[in-house]
Amino acid sequence: MTWADQVATAYDAGLAVPVTLEEGFGPLAVDVPATHWREAVTLARDVLGCGFFDWLSAVDELDEGFRVLCHLARRPQDGVPLAHLLVRTLLPRDAPVLPSVRDVFAGAGWHERETHEMFGIDFTADGAVLALEPLLLPEEFEGHPLRKDFVLASRVARPWPGAKEPGESDATVGRARRRPRPPGVPDEGTWRP
Amino acid sequence: MATVSDLPARSRGVIALIEENCTSCMLCARECPSWCIHIDSHQETDLPVGGGRPSTRNVLDRFAIDYAVCMYCSICVEVCPFDALHWAPEHEYAGAELVDLTHERDRLREWMWTVPPPDVLDEHAEPGKEVAAARKAATRRR
Repeated sequence: MTWADQVATAYDAGLAVPVTLEEGFGPLAVDVPATHWREAVTLARDVLGCGFFDWLSAVDELDEGFRVLCHLARRPQDGVPLAHLLVRTLLPRDAPVLPSVRDVFAGAGWHERETHEMFGIDFTADGAVLALEPLLLPEEFEGHPLRKDFVLASRVARPWPGAKEPGESDATVGRARRRPRPPGVPDEGTWRP
Repeated sequence: MATVSDLPARSRGVIALIEENCTSCMLCARECPSWCIHIDSHQETDLPVGGGRPSTRNVLDRFAIDYAVCMYCSICVEVCPFDALHWAPEHEYAGAELVDLTHERDRLREWMWTVPPPDVLDEHAEPGKEVAAARKAATRRR
């Protein structure tokens, strides 16, 4: 039985809701609903033997919301090589809340703190939202820097050097033509007060 | 102790500029993800001797790389259509002031003398594209 089959069987038998498996190019990924996040991670640990917690983080999927991912691995055993598993779930953008798994894997606490400060995702324990301290950012920092709508201060503080056309310099730069926009920086009207 | 000359030719130490090759096309400045390349240029008009239509060309006024910001991703070297930018293994250019890390065109041109010839290809590798192209051109002429 392949690792994908084992994962599919374990989730079919152990989780009350249907899940989707995606093999793709990377490690095997299983998408679970946010309501069953704790159960899905616990099942990976207890039934599938994924005792190694690697990391937990998120991806800003814009209109779709936030995708929270957790990378787990089963160490080589009985001649079976290392097996990877990504547990994923999608949260709505306006209310990103997820049950904490810090009691399933002790090391997940730090990752949840980082995900909380970088993406503004809340984690709950026994129904109550945890007051997570910032891990990397200073106390007074405002905003969530890994959200795609967060504008970097260094991109605002100085002009883009690529705005000039060939044959132009800072001194002679004209303003009649439509200027090329720096890639990845939102239009000025959308963020400048 | 290892010296700069022991480093592989592909080492990303410092970016050197052949300003003779640069057409001020701005591609590197626009592709740079960390916004560290600054180019100023102006246009000059040439009147061909013996008449004909005048032609304009860009003349480089300033080319600077801010190594305080550069992340050594090599996108500028890759994107340059005229091979004006090259990597050199020299990496000992720390400065006492932050502004010392902005290398202007004269300093970038000087680095060009430290650019090593590319590493010798593996004996089983296919020959370089430019070698094949030159061979083809030579046989066609004959």
